[in-house]
Amino acid sequence: MATLPAGDEHAKPTGAAPAAAEPGDELERLRELLLGDERRELVAARARIAELERMQGKLSQRLPDAAIAALREQGDHPRVSAALAAPVAQALGAAVHNNRQSIIDALFPVIGPMIRRAVAEALRGLVDNLNGAIESSLSLRGLKWRLEAWRGGVPYAQVVLRHRLAYGIDHVFLIERASGLLLHHAAAAGLPALDADAIAGMLTALGDFVGDSVGSDDHALDAAQVGESLVWVEHGPLLNLACFMRGVPPAGLRSLLKQRLEDIHARLAAMPDGSMLADLAADPEVQERVDPASLLREAQIALAADPAAAPKRSSPWPLLFIALLVLGVLGWQGVQRWRWQQGIDDLRVSLAAQPGFVLGKIDARPWRSLVVHGLLDPDAPSLKALLDRAELGAATRRFETTGYVSTDDRIVELRARRLLQPPSDVTLTMHEGVLTLAGEAPADWSAAALARAPLIAGVRAVNSSLGAPIDPQIVARAALKQAIAELDALRVDFVREDEPVAGSDTVVDAMAAKLRGLDALAHDAGVTLHLQAVGTSDETGGDGTNERVRGLRARWLALALAARGIGDVGEADAAANPEPSRRSASVQIATGPSP
Amino acid sequence: MSGSAFKVCMLGDFGVGKTSLVARFVRSTFSDKYLTTIGVKVDSKEVLRAGREPVKLVLWDIAGRNALDTVGANYLRGAHALLLVADGTREASLATALDLLMQSRSLLPSAQVVLAINKQDLVERWEVGPATVRQLRQSLPVFETSAASGAGVADAFAAIAAGLAP
Repeated sequence: MATLPAGDEHAKPTGAAPAAAEPGDELERLRELLLGDERRELVAARARIAELERMQGKLSQRLPDAAIAALREQGDHPRVSAALAAPVAQALGAAVHNNRQSIIDALFPVIGPMIRRAVAEALRGLVDNLNGAIESSLSLRGLKWRLEAWRGGVPYAQVVLRHRLAYGIDHVFLIERASGLLLHHAAAAGLPALDADAIAGMLTALGDFVGDSVGSDDHALDAAQVGESLVWVEHGPLLNLACFMRGVPPAGLRSLLKQRLEDIHARLAAMPDGSMLADLAADPEVQERVDPASLLREAQIALAADPAAAPKRSSPWPLLFIALLVLGVLGWQGVQRWRWQQGIDDLRVSLAAQPGFVLGKIDARPWRSLVVHGLLDPDAPSLKALLDRAELGAATRRFETTGYVSTDDRIVELRARRLLQPPSDVTLTMHEGVLTLAGEAPADWSAAALARAPLIAGVRAVNSSLGAPIDPQIVARAALKQAIAELDALRVDFVREDEPVAGSDTVVDAMAAKLRGLDALAHDAGVTLHLQAVGTSDETGGDGTNERVRGLRARWLALALAARGIGDVGEADAAANPEPSRRSASVQIATGPSP
Repeated sequence: MSGSAFKVCMLGDFGVGKTSLVARFVRSTFSDKYLTTIGVKVDSKEVLRAGREPVKLVLWDIAGRNALDTVGANYLRGAHALLLVADGTREASLATALDLLMQSRSLLPSAQVVLAINKQDLVERWEVGPATVRQLRQSLPVFETSAASGAGVADAFAAIAAGLAP
């Protein structure tokens, strides 16, 4: 408010009457005459301005009560709010523009929880998406985690995160933001000592360097990662909290660090005036809040108590179906395995019973391949058929054998047969190392066999009961001779001429039967037979008649034999035969050498 | 953290021996390569004080420069003391150190200041005369140091420690 100058000559008081008419007084009177009304209005205006200034001086005292009263009285007509909206917004804008740090400091305790809530909501959505994405995974580990989630009544995604996010906190530094001086350092147990003051300083310098490099006063180094080592830095108005970790920490830990830093700032604000930051660092509660074990413990609790992970009961049917499926597959595999093993055991028993084979080992890939290792005597029977018969599906199978000499009686007998080549009439047996030769064999073979048999591997002793063989030809000839003698005894008698006596057909039939058996005997005896029908006569009648009659009777017999299938029967006169006088006919057989 | 810690920034021109002084005083945790990458290297050392609690000096060895830029100014934030370092054989480095002091005063109006004129082992080649040193001593503590021999180094840091409260 402008004021008139105090030394203005126009403002001099005019109450005293003039004693003499001086030029100044004249001028004053003239002013009174010309400007009297205006001057009085001017004086009144001055008084009103002075009163307004006085009232304005007390405005700062009255304004809060006036504003409260106005807000209370405005009712449904927010004139005061409407009137203040624009200037307050402008003032806030100007404050943010001109004094940003103060606004940030003031809002820090409010902004932190708001941001955490927004981040938590975003993470909840992320977890839901992650849950949907990985619910379909059916790896063994996934099934294990799914079982754990089902048993614990928690979402599958939470279990996955719990298992995957393994991490550890190595160091926590509480650092004065402005100077980079270390206020408190806490380390996990068992770690080597380090120059925490220098590290805190370097970390602050790095943050400044990065902030200046990107040309931003509002952003600082929040995180740095090298391999599995990770540094998170939380920034507050006065203090920074740096956390050195290994592994993959959960997002909740970041929120926890923010919360801890806010708590420490709140504790700093609650400290009495004049307190030093060093006093804050010495506060046991502050130290407990930056303790790595405490942070880990609370982060774990926070993760377990995440409201987004409220227990919900999953439907058991998919899991049961999967379990049954797995059991079915495992059962089928077990049965197959048992069948395979049973086949292997059976084969092992069969191979062990085989003479001339010593089973070494069996290399088997179930239902794929089989290799039998062992020792095999060359005289042992082939085992291929045995292997092929084994119930081992389509697995390829083969032997890998090494030769050896078996002393098993069965193999020694086979070996002796191979080496001695015995005749068919010789029986050859082995029992407990003793070779027994029996039967009939040529003398030269017997001599050679008896000389060689003791040298055969596996033969301890030789028993021989071999005899000389009987010539079948001789036997056959004897039998032939007997048969011819029996045939000679058969005669067909005649009444007269070529009239046979009754019953002669029976005799002819007997002759034919005898003659039929003679062919085989002749073959064995190595001879050929010549058959002749011979007629005889008594002494009555003339010689010519008797000769004719003998001829008739020989013919009759030859024809009768031919009628019975015996051909090639010649006819001869009995005159040459020293037969007794008899009206008969017979068959005479002559033998000759085989062609 | 043991005892009280104080931030001490070392300022000076290129090649005056700041890093050598720190190396003489402490066993460094970090490599000197940080000086050429991010422009600063931090070390710490506990210093005993006669009749008082020991203090830990956190030494910010800021890369040599003749003027404060944004990064350098950020590194100075919150410093309790400045160790200005000049090279006795280069009088211009003394002027640079004083310029840096003037520039940092706006950021650190109450920081304790100690001046180390380094390379005392080459005193015969000094361009900084005794009269100049005497005049400087009237305004601030001045130590003639040698990073090569170690002379005066501990005294300079001890003077800083002695001037720090409590």
